[in-house]
Amino acid sequence: MKRSFFAALGASLLALAVAPAALAQNSIRIAVLGPMAFVQGEHHWAGAEMARDEINKAGGITVGGRKLMVELIRADTNEMTSVPDAQSAAERVITRDRADFLIGGFRSEAVFAMQEVAMDHKKIFLGVGAAHDELGLRVERDYNRYKYWFRVSPTKSSDLGRTVFAVLNAVAGEIRKQFKTETPKVAVLAEKAVWTEGLIAAAQKNLPAMKMEMVGLWQPSATATDVTAELSAIERAGADIVFTILSGPVGIVVGRQMGERNMKAVAFGINVEAQKDEFWGAAAGKANYVSTLNTYAEVEITPKTVPWVRAFKERYKKSPAYTAATYDAIMLLKQAIEQANSLRADDLVPVLEKIRYVGNGAVIEFDKRHDPVWGPGKSLGIGVQWQDGKLVAFWPPEIKGMQPFRLPPR
Amino acid sequence: MYWLRRLFRWFAADVLALPSRALVALWVLVLLVLPVFYADPYVLRIVTLASLFAIFAASWDLLAGYSGQVNFGHALFFGGSAYVSAMLSVKAGVPPWLAVAAGTAAAALLGLASGYICLRLRGSYLSLATLAFPLILVGLLLAAPGFSGGELGLPGVPRLTNKPLGNYYIAVIAMLVVVFGLWALADSRFGLLLHAIRDDELAARAAGINTPRYKLAVFAISGAAAGLAGALLAHYMRIAAPFLLETALSFQVVIWGIFGGIATIYGPVAAVFVLYPITEWIGSFQAFGERRLLVFAAIVLVVLLWMPRGFAPWLRDRIETNCPRCKQRNAAWRASCRACTAPLSATERPRASGPRA
Repeated sequence: MKRSFFAALGASLLALAVAPAALAQNSIRIAVLGPMAFVQGEHHWAGAEMARDEINKAGGITVGGRKLMVELIRADTNEMTSVPDAQSAAERVITRDRADFLIGGFRSEAVFAMQEVAMDHKKIFLGVGAAHDELGLRVERDYNRYKYWFRVSPTKSSDLGRTVFAVLNAVAGEIRKQFKTETPKVAVLAEKAVWTEGLIAAAQKNLPAMKMEMVGLWQPSATATDVTAELSAIERAGADIVFTILSGPVGIVVGRQMGERNMKAVAFGINVEAQKDEFWGAAAGKANYVSTLNTYAEVEITPKTVPWVRAFKERYKKSPAYTAATYDAIMLLKQAIEQANSLRADDLVPVLEKIRYVGNGAVIEFDKRHDPVWGPGKSLGIGVQWQDGKLVAFWPPEIKGMQPFRLPPR
Repeated sequence: MYWLRRLFRWFAADVLALPSRALVALWVLVLLVLPVFYADPYVLRIVTLASLFAIFAASWDLLAGYSGQVNFGHALFFGGSAYVSAMLSVKAGVPPWLAVAAGTAAAALLGLASGYICLRLRGSYLSLATLAFPLILVGLLLAAPGFSGGELGLPGVPRLTNKPLGNYYIAVIAMLVVVFGLWALADSRFGLLLHAIRDDELAARAAGINTPRYKLAVFAISGAAAGLAGALLAHYMRIAAPFLLETALSFQVVIWGIFGGIATIYGPVAAVFVLYPITEWIGSFQAFGERRLLVFAAIVLVVLLWMPRGFAPWLRDRIETNCPRCKQRNAAWRASCRACTAPLSATERPRASGPRA
């Protein structure tokens, strides 16, 4: 009797020791890393919450014949003020909170630091927020170490540039069509910041090739409260397009003052402020025709986009920012886990490398750098424009639900 | 055996006799044996970072506390050294240890240069001038993104060792060596001259002290110490980026210095080892983790309200007292002086703390 008891105990212990990790746990712990005191982190968390609730409501993720619930760990990285804090947060969620997977990150240098910790522990880290090309280049350069990193959103910086110029070309085409202008004149209005330099150089190089004339470069401060001098100079230069490269509050000022001056030129480019719901009110309702790149809108980027954006707006009373792609990251992870039938990072990497996931803002497939493949029908982004107080999507035109692009009257 | 016995006797008579020294000895012991008993990687990371920031804070205290050269741009040495070390490692393939040494030397040169520029400045003028230096360096780095990595910085800096335990001991031992070295320096004739320069530079010059030479020397030594910490941090985190030169970091070190107690060396070190883990711990709570800066500021304000000379001198004054006759320090609970056996009054409290515990 005693002997059989010990044999059974020994067998049980051995079984426990060799059982896959999934059998030993009741939930899948996903750490959401982001600057939680900022809007980017807020949307990281919101997207992840939506994914968690949807998965758990449907019974969880099937792995090893069991249904495991998703458990989220909210980790404030404090990355806007301290990169060491971000790295420590990554270490904490892995070693203390026993996170199985990491998603999120925003500031590129903080994501680099967190990436190191995740790779040290061989944890899958799905990036949602940082766009720097180098993050993916590391996978290519040192695959064995960095293979656990995958970028879900946004597309890498160089691809973002490709999208901007593709939309700019469409805007120029509209001007050519409506105003019979063969060579539209473009004024580049970029805030004085290092991140804009690459796009400025690209504009100087690409615009002549795209049969556009660059009439000048104006560089106000990112926090400027008046751009009258710049805008009057742009008017005098006869610009048809104001190519904006703005991330700071100056984006609101540009929109408001262009409206106040009834400028004939239309603004398009990157204007982070114009992506927000509050932009119209902040610009005193004068920012008609201001357009920018964006990630989500109520158009059929994929069949999931419209219902998801509506559900997000209903739950959080605001439109999703691009860091809300944590939803797609978790859903993509679910698909990969169920396909691999494993939680082990080394089992999941080859599955993720071959995955095709239809998300809310893109169809995600990964290239050899584990970056989302750029292009129509994949990860591309959309062009949006403020039209009479509403943010409407206009590009790419082949997507269902797109509205025509409008030009200011002349 | 003879030396061991002598060491033990010295330890019992000079270290254990004073509570502050016993606390320091205990702290050193805990740091050295912590991984043996509690090898939690997260805790080791926090202690590693605290050790590096402690070097940084102690180096600021030598410069600002002892010589009165209140530097508002101390991140210049920290970040400058990190960049030099990272560039040498990443771009030129220099072995990491050699790169750290070069970074430290570069920080000493930066110290000399900024000290030379500020030689004729005093008080708030000096502080404001030093505040500009890291901003200038950031501007230069951003102006040459191909060389410096621009806003992103230089990722992929090789580690000194890939073992977490190795990184821990490198940081802790570097911290102990540098902090005790700075402590000894501050307690030497050199430290005394720095005190004289801080209190009345004109009088010090009149007494025949070559004050510019000492000021330059303290800038260089402080820069080198801060630089060592910065270079080690870049190799530990595997990135050197503009955040290492941020104004916030320069002010953080001032807060650590004032919170811990300036002109003590041990004060800022204690401040880092108290405040850094506390803010990290606060950060792990969802309820107020996202307001960690607010909580941090509240702690600092409340503590300074009750302990205007800083946390460490306040604590030391609670557990130790000065002999009214020979001025030797004694444990607060002793009835008579350990040196001259004079009776110790319970109400006698030291009015000023010297540089040594």
